[in-house]
Amino acid sequence: MQRESTLPQLLVGDAPRAAAAPMDSDAFAGFYERSARPLWAYLARVSGDPALADDLMQESFVHFLCSSWQSEGEVASRRYLFRIATNLLRDHWRRPRQASIEEIPEEFFADAVNSAQADSHAVLGPALALMRPRDRQLLWLAHAEGYTHKEIAEITGLASASIRLLLFRARRKIAGLLREQATRPGRP
Amino acid sequence: MKLNGCAYEKEVTRVLLQGGWPAACTDELRAHVAACRGCADLVLVTASFQREREAAVSAVRIGTPGALWWRAQLRRRNAAVERIARPILGAHLFALFICAAVVIAALTDQARQGVAWLTGLEELPHALTLNLGGLWSSMLLDSGWSLVVLLPAIALLVLLGGVAAFLAWERQ
Repeated sequence: MQRESTLPQLLVGDAPRAAAAPMDSDAFAGFYERSARPLWAYLARVSGDPALADDLMQESFVHFLCSSWQSEGEVASRRYLFRIATNLLRDHWRRPRQASIEEIPEEFFADAVNSAQADSHAVLGPALALMRPRDRQLLWLAHAEGYTHKEIAEITGLASASIRLLLFRARRKIAGLLREQATRPGRP
Repeated sequence: MKLNGCAYEKEVTRVLLQGGWPAACTDELRAHVAACRGCADLVLVTASFQREREAAVSAVRIGTPGALWWRAQLRRRNAAVERIARPILGAHLFALFICAAVVIAALTDQARQGVAWLTGLEELPHALTLNLGGLWSSMLLDSGWSLVVLLPAIALLVLLGGVAAFLAWERQ
């Protein structure tokens, strides 16, 4: 870790102060350890594509490190990280689709998955797939991450006043889907 | 559609996010959730998302932060180099523009004087003796091939060489 913490400074040299790293490599390692999994979960469940989530998660951290963001504590940093990830996800959706094998979610190829994950995803996954991407984002941020309406507005760039209405509608819709799924015949 | 929700919504949310549902909440709250559609939705959705998050977080294998740190450092370094190179490239282009203007002016001047020189050549066969040394000196000095022209030409060559070297170095 010593090598990692000294060499980057030599590489960067006399880079302007505005582009200074928001945290050193040790602090980043800790932040990454605590934030990477929740961020991956957000990206994977909102996009429905674990491979894409891997890519976007790495890109989000690189963007985070390259930004001139000055750390205002871990909570604010994590919120900023989610904001970057949300923007990257939006950019990905805006890009024209490419039909290649890389674009196919890994789930289609996976033959062995953790049973707890499979059970949980079997319940929420189909319902989430029927929701609009924006609704998935709002629901995940509010109910999985526990962000307030104001924080969600900051992350997604939506107006704070509209979050409540959008979230209310999305919650009602997914609750209906979950109930419907639970009462569907053939389900254990 | 009741957008304001009910008075219990905040409390239900707090209990859910703290993981206290249903064990660590009051009977009154449990009874309310059983009767209120909005709060029942809140409980169902939040519990599902919390379970999903827990499963996803425990299943994912993340890489090492070192590689990302290096990637970010390299990207920042490249961005810094690009920032520095931009004004240098601008200066080169400006110098190129000035040189081109000087060359055009010199060529125009030469063309004007060349007409006189060609007239001199036409008269050459009629001359009794051919003095090559005299002709060369007349080309250099009399028709404008003086140091005033040669020096900017050399300067232009040096500058173009510099631009070429810079572009080659940048590509590497």
